[in-house]
Amino acid sequence: MYKGPFVCTGCALLCDDIAAEIQDNRIIRVDTACRKGVSRIKGCSSPMSCMVNGKAVDIDTAIKEAAMILKSSKHPLIFGHGNCTLETQKKTIELARKIYAHIDDTSSFCQGPLIEAILNEKLPTCTLEEVRHKADVVIFWGADPSNSHPRHLSMYSYFPRGKERQRGWEEDRTAITIDIRKSDTAALCGDKFYEIPINGDSEFINALFSALSNKVPKTSFNMDPKKILELANILKKSDFGVIFAGLGMVYSLDSLEPLLRLINKLNETSKFYLIPMVGQYNMRGFDHTLFKETGYINRVYFGREKIEHGPQHSIIELINNNVVDAALIIGSDPLASLPGEIAKKLANVPLITIDPCNNLTSQRSKVTISSALSGVECAGTAIRMDGVEVTLKQIIETDRFSDEQIIKQIMGKI
Amino acid sequence: MGFGQFLTEPEFKFIIVTHRDIFQNISQEISRFGNEYAERSSVITLDKDDMKKMGLKAGDTVVAKNTSARVVLKVESSVYEKPHPGIAFMINGPWANALVPADTGGTGVPRFKKIEVTLSRSKTEKVTPLNDLI
Repeated sequence: MYKGPFVCTGCALLCDDIAAEIQDNRIIRVDTACRKGVSRIKGCSSPMSCMVNGKAVDIDTAIKEAAMILKSSKHPLIFGHGNCTLETQKKTIELARKIYAHIDDTSSFCQGPLIEAILNEKLPTCTLEEVRHKADVVIFWGADPSNSHPRHLSMYSYFPRGKERQRGWEEDRTAITIDIRKSDTAALCGDKFYEIPINGDSEFINALFSALSNKVPKTSFNMDPKKILELANILKKSDFGVIFAGLGMVYSLDSLEPLLRLINKLNETSKFYLIPMVGQYNMRGFDHTLFKETGYINRVYFGREKIEHGPQHSIIELINNNVVDAALIIGSDPLASLPGEIAKKLANVPLITIDPCNNLTSQRSKVTISSALSGVECAGTAIRMDGVEVTLKQIIETDRFSDEQIIKQIMGKI
Repeated sequence: MGFGQFLTEPEFKFIIVTHRDIFQNISQEISRFGNEYAERSSVITLDKDDMKKMGLKAGDTVVAKNTSARVVLKVESSVYEKPHPGIAFMINGPWANALVPADTGGTGVPRFKKIEVTLSRSKTEKVTPLNDLI
């Protein structure tokens, strides 16, 4: 029996048109979603179970042990949140306050600066619906949505025939890629692919700025000035332009100053917006939630006397400097995503993992607590990559607790 | 057993740039411990001319080394990328991350997309298994 529409939590696009065929409380077919989304919704092949020191236990024992570790820790860290609902994130922040913990998420070493600039109203942004209906120029900068967000181009940014873009990609939209490598998305952009060297983003921004100011652009990597002037011309004539900023751009810029300068320049002659290409489905949600509560999006320490913030409270520096003596990991797999040396150090700290699936972090954890897969086995809300709140529905029933219920129970035992 | 095996393989300097891949993403969703995830995450893509210079063919293994780690990877050749001498591409995952230095100069942001390594041809070694990385 087909049911839907559901929301996919495979990435921060949160596609809301998913149909699923359900038989005996099992999802046997998923329609509309991309390959990645289908894999997410159907569930992993190695679900996690509740364990303490490698031995299977019931959930109450695992929760009790987790509470004991956190209670006796002097410098606990709560990390992850990218694959958790807003409701869970609120609870983990509450827990962090209660146990005087450090709290951080993956935005700490990826899209954080962009989200922070948007929340502080330094960068103009728009919704994906506006992109679909209005955008005539879309720039994929250090981003490859064909691989990272497979339905981005078909749902919103390039192929749709939006209300004001009825001729779609053939005539009404220009797609541009600026990247260091010819990605699958760059291949779609044809001659509108601007190949720059590693860390060349800032210099390219300066050259583009010159071209927008009617000066001859120069680069140390000898990009044809005519090509940059042609790009400046396209951008100047745009009615509604959007930069989709990926990690390639974020990692290349030492500060956002060149980007802010470019966006301001573009907005002198046309309307330009930026949307960060957030990966995990609710990473942006965590940043919004923490920002609302503390004024910071990540890297927060709930000290006994005051709240502290800064790079010294980032997961990377906390582990590098041996600050943390216990860590609760929820909705993330840092041992797979952190630099190897840091992952090894983190693995030596008593770890508690809350997740639906086995992963590298759970394998090295002292306590693992199996949770329901959000958007499939439990409902909730999340924030899409463009800042829009989306409601997740439950597709099938489960005996597993939601992340939120687990955090509540841990708090009850501390 | 030939004389060649006692000779040290020359080392070549490279910069590894990481990127995403939909097929690796799918295998990751299914299981971090599956063969497909390991196979896709442990590939290093090199420029055709660099491969020729190093005497490599697709499917060979190379040792990637820096002060952070020593990892054995499988070589593939670029397909449609423009020539990229001295630059190698890897799908981001534990194999690439092993080579990312922990030192961030206090910024808290590691250099995930500009990893300096030396590469040398490996004669007999197999790709580093996941369990040896962490």
